[in-house]
Amino acid sequence: MTEQRPANPLEMIAYVLSQQIKDGEVVYIGTGLPMVAGILAKKTHAPNMTMVYESGAQNPMPGAMPWSVGGPATWRKSPMILEMAYSFGQLYNGYVDKAFLGYAQIDMYGNVNTHMIGGDFHNYKNRLTGSGGNNDLSSLAKTLVLVGLQSPQKFVKNVDFITSPGYLTGGNSRKEAGLVGGGPIAVITSAGTYDFEPESKRMRINSLHPGVSPELAQLASGFELLKPSGEIPVTSVPTQDIIDILRREVDPRGVFTSMPS
Amino acid sequence: MGKFTYNKEVLANLRIDEKETHLLDKLLDYESAKEAHSKKSHAAVDKRISIKEAINEYVKDGDILTDTGFSYVRTPIAAYFEIIRQGIKGLQNIGSPATSQSYMIPFGTVTHTHWSYCGAEMRGTDRNMSRCAKNGKTKVLSEWSHGSMAQGFKAAQLGVPGLYSKQLLGSDIIKYNPFVRQVDNPIKAEKDPCVFIPALYPDVTIIHVHQADKFGNAKIYGPIVNDVAIAAAARKVIITAEEIVPPSAFRNDNKGVVIPFVYVDAVVEMPYGALMGSMPGLYYWPRRLWEKAMRHWTYKEGAMDEFYETFIVNCKDQYDIIDKLLGGSKWLANSRRLTKAEEYDNEDEGVDFNYKEWTRDDPNPDDTTDQFKAIY
Repeated sequence: MTEQRPANPLEMIAYVLSQQIKDGEVVYIGTGLPMVAGILAKKTHAPNMTMVYESGAQNPMPGAMPWSVGGPATWRKSPMILEMAYSFGQLYNGYVDKAFLGYAQIDMYGNVNTHMIGGDFHNYKNRLTGSGGNNDLSSLAKTLVLVGLQSPQKFVKNVDFITSPGYLTGGNSRKEAGLVGGGPIAVITSAGTYDFEPESKRMRINSLHPGVSPELAQLASGFELLKPSGEIPVTSVPTQDIIDILRREVDPRGVFTSMPS
Repeated sequence: MGKFTYNKEVLANLRIDEKETHLLDKLLDYESAKEAHSKKSHAAVDKRISIKEAINEYVKDGDILTDTGFSYVRTPIAAYFEIIRQGIKGLQNIGSPATSQSYMIPFGTVTHTHWSYCGAEMRGTDRNMSRCAKNGKTKVLSEWSHGSMAQGFKAAQLGVPGLYSKQLLGSDIIKYNPFVRQVDNPIKAEKDPCVFIPALYPDVTIIHVHQADKFGNAKIYGPIVNDVAIAAAARKVIITAEEIVPPSAFRNDNKGVVIPFVYVDAVVEMPYGALMGSMPGLYYWPRRLWEKAMRHWTYKEGAMDEFYETFIVNCKDQYDIIDKLLGGSKWLANSRRLTKAEEYDNEDEGVDFNYKEWTRDDPNPDDTTDQFKAIY
């Protein structure tokens, strides 16, 4: 495919997320877009980064897009594979630089829900997957980057269940709870990128994608988004070269980066 | 007074009556696990039996069954189908992930759930599981994260009563788990909240491996996940193996031999025992079959009856799955080729991973063969 289409929202997320990775870092990869971002970074600006998966896989050779965090592509010619308990232990012990995770709901303090939507624990609208490694990574990772689509259903005032702690109720509450990981440093969405204001630990606009106004971003959120002082930067978009690599080499079947019809 | 103290608030959150706490006790009961481990034959004897005999002998109504492998990677799914086939009822299921319990619930095989993850990642959330937990077909006894549950199994393998974790703090998971307890690190001068994770002792586990000898020493290629710890913890251990090798094979080359024979009660020769999932190095994930499972069989109330017809009644074993659902010998050849190419043990240049995804308006909904064409 040699189409010159600009990046679709999912491709944009994958690109922006990949930019969070510095060469040489160890990144713990959740399922979905984090896999795309990790592989894209490795094929572009961060060839010496190491991907780690909860199934225990370490540093696979680049190949096909994984269909699962336990699939063969996540341990393709890995020099070694750790048991699950030891794999998470790497986070606690300081060997992982960043973790990438998705969310079903997220609140202004970066608390994440992947458990259930609507109602309560027994009488919900939809039960979701549960934690998997989401809580472990959020609890332990030195820095955490959360990634997903943005809508008022996903950016909510209160998550229906705290699967994974962000900054809990803000301020020092995360630290006081005894959590050793640093908490979320960024949220990458279809509208923009966000960080957390250092005192209150509330989510703050860091940049907005081309064509997205602060008003539009706010419309797609169930809580008030803090704004930075001064002008809001526009997120830089991928070059055509990078889009080509993403489409041809990273996710050619569009498993994670084709828009749902 | 019972053997263990459970947080009353957590029991109330989970709607577990105090009279029901015996359902929780066995998972923590070190004494009975140790007794079970002590009682089994410790001699290296030939433990080979059939899968029918193994399930009949070692899986009992009400047991805590552990899921192994990683959902659809090296998971003994064909053995789980045999559990359903034999009409065993009232199992508790635990594992991280514990995805396989979903299809055992509608038939009363599994009635109690320890939950860390159920679903098939991007293939979709598991609506059957969502429905069954809501309508009481299964009762959730505890919520976990992968890592915290892995620590519970690992504590059992290490031979300690439990360990202190830094996971689950500040989350709602801890409010829905009667087994874990927030405590302070006793050696720190400053207040240091931790979560005590007790050693976990499931009743029975089935672990699918690449090779075993007749005594039960077992070799795994690819991710071990939690299986070595689970094998050490479980009261009863069934090994299903793609092939049985002579004991001399492991004496000559012990690379990848991770389960010692003393843990093992039964050894079953079971080629393709991970179907309808995949097996590292040997066969690839049947993608359309799984997509149909997530998007059709689990989707609507009652559709799981069709799942039962397909896998339990119309297929008597994993060979029938290959012949009747996947496309027979061509599937075998292609799935080995795909997995080896993805693992880069075969040349991958020119190997076509494309297939037609199974969708809800699929023109050929009964075709679950992955419609591979590249091989011929």
